[in-house]
Amino acid sequence: MTRYVMVIDQRRCIGCHSCTVACRTWNKLPLDIIYNPVLTEGAQGEWPNVHKTWTPTLCMHCANPECVPCCPNGASIQDEDGTIWVDPKKCMSCKVCVNACPYGMRDASHMESRLHRFVRKCSFCRDKRQMDPNAQPYCVLTCHQKARIFGDLDDPNSEVSKLIGSVKTERLFEEFGTEPQIYYIPDLGGKA
Amino acid sequence: MEISKTSTGLKDIVCPDTVSTEVDIHAEGVEVVKSLCYFCHANCGVLAYVKDGDVIKIEGDPNYSNQGGLCCRGTSALLHVNHPGRINHALKRVGEKGAGQWEQIPYDQAIQEVADRLNQIKAESGAEAVASAGGTTRTDDFARRRFLNQFGTPNGFHNALLCWIPTFMAETCVAGWSPFETDLGGAKCLVMWGFNPGASTLPGNRGYLDLQKAGLKVIVVDPRYSESASKADLWLPLRPGTDAALALAILHTIIYEFMYDFEFVDQWCDGFDELRDHVAEYTPEWASKITWLDADLIRTAARMYATNKPGCIQWGCTWDQIGRASTTGSHALALIRAVCGNLEVPGGDGMPGPALNFLTDEELELNELLPEEMKAKQIGSNKFKLTSWPGYQLISDNAKRTWGKTLPAEWFCEAHGPSVFKAIITGDPYQIRALVCNATNPINSYGDSKMTLEALKKVEFLVAVDYWMTPTALFADYVFPAAGALERPIIVTHYGATDSVMGGRRAIQPKYDRHDDFTFWRKLGLACGQDPANWQWETIEDCYYDILKPLNLPITCWNDFVDYFRMYYPPLHQNKFKHGGFWTPSRKVECNSSILRELGYVGMPTYVGCCENEIDTPEIAEEYPIVLTTGGGFMPYHHSEHFNMPGIRFLYPDPYFSINPVLAEKLGIAYGDWCWIETRRGRIKMRANVEAEVHPNVVFAPRGWWFPERDGSADLDNPFGCLESNVNVLTSVDDWDCDPMGGSWANRGLMCKVYKCTELDNEFTAKDAVWSIPGSSKTPGVTVMPSDQHLDREKIPFEKPQCEIEVPEGYYWVWQDNNLYQKGTHFRLDASGWLINPRTKGYHDAYTGWRYDAQGGCLVDDATGKKYTMEREEIVEICGVRCYPGTETAPYEFPGTLAWDAEKGYARLGDKPYIYDPNSGWMFDPATCAYHDANYGYMYDGAQGCLVDPETGNRYSMSYEPLD
Repeated sequence: MTRYVMVIDQRRCIGCHSCTVACRTWNKLPLDIIYNPVLTEGAQGEWPNVHKTWTPTLCMHCANPECVPCCPNGASIQDEDGTIWVDPKKCMSCKVCVNACPYGMRDASHMESRLHRFVRKCSFCRDKRQMDPNAQPYCVLTCHQKARIFGDLDDPNSEVSKLIGSVKTERLFEEFGTEPQIYYIPDLGGKA
Repeated sequence: MEISKTSTGLKDIVCPDTVSTEVDIHAEGVEVVKSLCYFCHANCGVLAYVKDGDVIKIEGDPNYSNQGGLCCRGTSALLHVNHPGRINHALKRVGEKGAGQWEQIPYDQAIQEVADRLNQIKAESGAEAVASAGGTTRTDDFARRRFLNQFGTPNGFHNALLCWIPTFMAETCVAGWSPFETDLGGAKCLVMWGFNPGASTLPGNRGYLDLQKAGLKVIVVDPRYSESASKADLWLPLRPGTDAALALAILHTIIYEFMYDFEFVDQWCDGFDELRDHVAEYTPEWASKITWLDADLIRTAARMYATNKPGCIQWGCTWDQIGRASTTGSHALALIRAVCGNLEVPGGDGMPGPALNFLTDEELELNELLPEEMKAKQIGSNKFKLTSWPGYQLISDNAKRTWGKTLPAEWFCEAHGPSVFKAIITGDPYQIRALVCNATNPINSYGDSKMTLEALKKVEFLVAVDYWMTPTALFADYVFPAAGALERPIIVTHYGATDSVMGGRRAIQPKYDRHDDFTFWRKLGLACGQDPANWQWETIEDCYYDILKPLNLPITCWNDFVDYFRMYYPPLHQNKFKHGGFWTPSRKVECNSSILRELGYVGMPTYVGCCENEIDTPEIAEEYPIVLTTGGGFMPYHHSEHFNMPGIRFLYPDPYFSINPVLAEKLGIAYGDWCWIETRRGRIKMRANVEAEVHPNVVFAPRGWWFPERDGSADLDNPFGCLESNVNVLTSVDDWDCDPMGGSWANRGLMCKVYKCTELDNEFTAKDAVWSIPGSSKTPGVTVMPSDQHLDREKIPFEKPQCEIEVPEGYYWVWQDNNLYQKGTHFRLDASGWLINPRTKGYHDAYTGWRYDAQGGCLVDDATGKKYTMEREEIVEICGVRCYPGTETAPYEFPGTLAWDAEKGYARLGDKPYIYDPNSGWMFDPATCAYHDANYGYMYDGAQGCLVDPETGNRYSMSYEPLD
C-alpha cells in the first residue's frame, strides 16, 4: 500500500512563501485561493529574547477526514493512497465540506462564475502525479530550504518514514480525531 | 434535466473533460532549455520547457546550486513574460512630460532619434552632459560602458555605492582583492553581518542551515530579528548604523586578547604595530554605549570568531549603506579577517582575483578610449575618490601590476549618482542635459527621492529602458522595452570581479519589440556613429562566446557552453599569497593602507558616528527620538520590483514597518494602523507591524514601495504613489552624510519620529513632495550649492616619498615597492634588465616586449607568433627547421650529397625543393612536411616502413634495396 504524507521541518523554514507562490502559479489558481499559506508566529517574547517560527500549512489529507463523508454529491474523494481531492465535475460548491474541515484548508473561488465554481483544495499535486508517478508536489520542489518532504509513509525506506520514526513530530489539532497526515518537526532551537 | 444526488448536473455541460492545469512536458516538440533566473543576483538555475517558440512551463534546475528550488519571484517568471503591464514597443512622448501620452514607433527609428539628440547635446555641451543611470547588476553593464567610453562621457553610475563596491575597494586596499569567496565547507565559524540570506539569497541559506547542522557556528549581526537571526548561534542586535563601532571593538578585542594569528601577522602584515596602537581606544566598553550591546556580548562574538578557525565573514549590503561610517566599518572588518589569518586559507575567505582564463568585463569596456580630461570631469570624483577615477586608477594599475588584469570600470569607477541628480537641478559643477536610465527606477532606489523626482522632471532629455512604466519612465522622452528573464542569455561573473563563470541560454527570442540591453547599447552606439569594428558582435551570444574563447573549451557557440558545461570554475587555488605575496603595492596585508593615504584618507579605520545619532547630534535626537533602519531586502520583492504582479503582491499588499509593542503602546499605535514616519527630510506613511522583532526604540521600514496600480499621470507630485511610502524620501544624500571615501549615502541609523495618521492628516499632499538641497534644509529649493557642501571629514595631506632612482622614458615608479614598471603593460622592470609579466611570471624583452621562451632559447612575439634570436633577429623556420638565409657557410654539418644554399639558408639535395634538418638527418618537403632521405630524396612511408621514389613510384627498403 501507499500512504502519502508530508513532513514539514520547521527548523528549516524561513517564511519565504515560495511554496505558496509556486503552488498558486503552477496550479493556476484564482487570486482568492491559496492552498498552502505559511503562518508566521511573529517574534514572540520580550526583546531581545525573542523567537520566531513559521508554520507552512496545507490540506492535512487526514486518515479520518471530516470533509469526505459529508459531501452530498460524492465529489470530495479520498484515493487509496490517502490523497483527498475534489472532482470538479461533481462538486456543486455547496461548501458543506468547507465548513466541515477543521483546518480551513478548502474553499471555492469567488472569482469564478457560479456554474464553473467548485471547491478547491490541495491534492498533493494529484494531476502532476498522475502524469508522472514519481513527481513531487510543486511546494516541495520549489523549497530552497528543503523544509517540506513528501513521500510514502508505508515505505519504510522513504525519507518521510525515517524522519517520522526518528525525530519528534507533531500534528495539528490531533484532538479532533481526524488523524491528520502532515507531520511537523517543531523548531525547538535545535539544528535541522 | 434530472438532477439527482449522483448526477453531475450542469457541470457535465460546462466543465471540460479534464480540469487538470498540468502541462505535459513530455509531449512531442517540447524542448528543455537551460536558463537562469533573472530576478535577483542569486541567478538560480531554471529549466524552461519551450514549445513552438513559447515557454509553456518552467522548473527549478535540480542540477544547479539552487537544487530545484525557486522563490516567489523565480516561480513567477512566466507571469512576468506575459504580464499585460509590460512595455512591448518603443514609445515616444507626444504629450507633456508625465502626461502618459505616447506614440508607438519602430525600435530602430526610436534609436536613431535618440542618437541624433545625444549627438546634438554632445556637440553643444560636450559629451559629459550625457549621463546614464543603472540599477542592479542585471544588465549587460560592459556594453553600457563600451558605449559611454566611445561616446566620451565619464558619467555612468549605478546603485553601486550601496552595494558592495566601497567594501570591495576598501578590502582591495587592505589585501589586494575582495576576499568574498567564502570556503564554508571547511569553516568553523561564519559571521553574517548585515546579511539576511533568509530573504535574499535562498539557495545560500539552505547551505548555511546544512553546515550549521554539521557544526558551523553562525554569528548574525542585525538590528532586526531577521529570518537568519532566528537560526543563529549568536545574534548581535546592535543599534542600526553603529556597525563601524562594533567592528572596531571586535578588532580591539582580538588584538588585545591576543587572539590574532601571530605567525600570519608577523610574516604577512605590514604596519600591525601602528594598527594595534590605533585601535587601543576602541574598547568593548566604548562601543557598548554606541551600539547598545553589552560589552561582554561583543567580547563573546570576538572570541567566537577568532577562536573558531578557520572562519568566514560574509559581506552584507549594510556595510555600504550606513552613509559616512560605511567604509570605516568594512575597512575594520577587512582587518579583522586579516589579523585572524583567515585570508585565502582553506575554510577562510578566498580572493579569486580577476578571470585570468577568460575575458574580464574590463577587457570589453574600451576604457582606453576615454580621454584623461574626461576622467577628471567625472561628477563626484573630486569628493568620493575611492570609487571613482582617482581611486580606481590607483587600484586598477596596482591590479594590473600584480594580477595582470583588473576590475571593470563599470561599478568600480562611477560618477556619484545623487551628485548627478543635483547637477541636473543646479548645473553645478556643470549642467547634465541628458540621462539614460537602464534597468532602474531612481525615484525609488536612489536616496532623497523628492530631489531625485525633481531631477527626472527637470532633465532636458530622459530615456528609459525598462520592463514597466515606472515613475521614472513616466517622465521619459523615449521608453525602450527591455527583454526579461527567459528572453535573454545570462552570464554570471559577479560584477566581472571573479574568475568563474556561469551561464544560461535564452529560452525564447524576445517577444514583441523587446531587446536585451546589449542590443540596445550596440544599436545606439552604431546610430551615434561609433566605429562598427568596436561593435563586432551581432548578438549578445556572439559576445559571450568571445569571452569564453580563451578557455579553449570544445564549444562552437554560447549555447554549447550552457548545454555541455553550464559553469566554469578554475581549479581551486588557495594560499596563493604564499607565492609572491598579497596583491597590494607592498605585497603584504597593509594594516595602514598606502592607497587610502595616497588618496588623502586615513590609512587605518578611524571611528566616525553614523550621520544622525544620540551621542553626536543630541539636538536631532531630541526632535526625532526613534532610530530608523531601512534598505534591507524582504520577501517577496526585490528592490523596487514586482509590486505590479498580483501573483506576488497578494502576499504583501501594503507597506508595513516593524515597531516594538512597547514603543507602539507608548505611541498609541495598534497593528495595521497607518502611521507617518518622519525624518528631517520628509515623511512617508506605512502600516504598523507591531512585533518584538526590533528594539523598543527602533523601527524597520522596508524599501522600494510604489503603487503601480494607480494612474501615474493623475498626480505628478506623487506619480504612482512613488513618494508616499518610499523610505528613500527619508534617507540623506547630503555630502556631509555621505561616506567621504566610497560616497555611499545614509540609509541606516537615521533618526525619525513616528505618529499615527489622523482623520485630518492621512493623505499625502503636495506639501509632502516639496524638495530641497540640502535634503535636511527647512527651506524649499536650493540653499547650498553642491560644490559648497563640505565633506564630513577633511582631506589628510599626503606627500609621496621622492623618487631616488632614475626613471627611464616609458616607465613609471611605484613608491610603495620602489620598483619601475612599464607604462601600458604594467610589467615590472627587473634588476636583470628584463620585464616581468605578473600574470605568467615570464620574462619579456624590455626593448621589444617579446616574450622569452626558455625552451627554444629565443624570443617570441605573441602578437604575430614570430620567433626571434636573443639578438632580436627574426628566426626563419620552414617545417620546424631553422633556416639561415644570407649565411655563406653552413652553421652545421651535413652529408656530402647535399649542398649549402646561401640564399635560402639551408642544405639542399640537387635541385629538389627539400630542406635538410640537421637534428634528425632527414629532409622535409616544405609543401607537405613529409620526410625524405638525404641520399636520394626518397619519401619515407611510415605505414609500410619503407622508402618511395616520388618520381617513379618504386619502393625501397630502409637500406635502399628495391622492394616488389
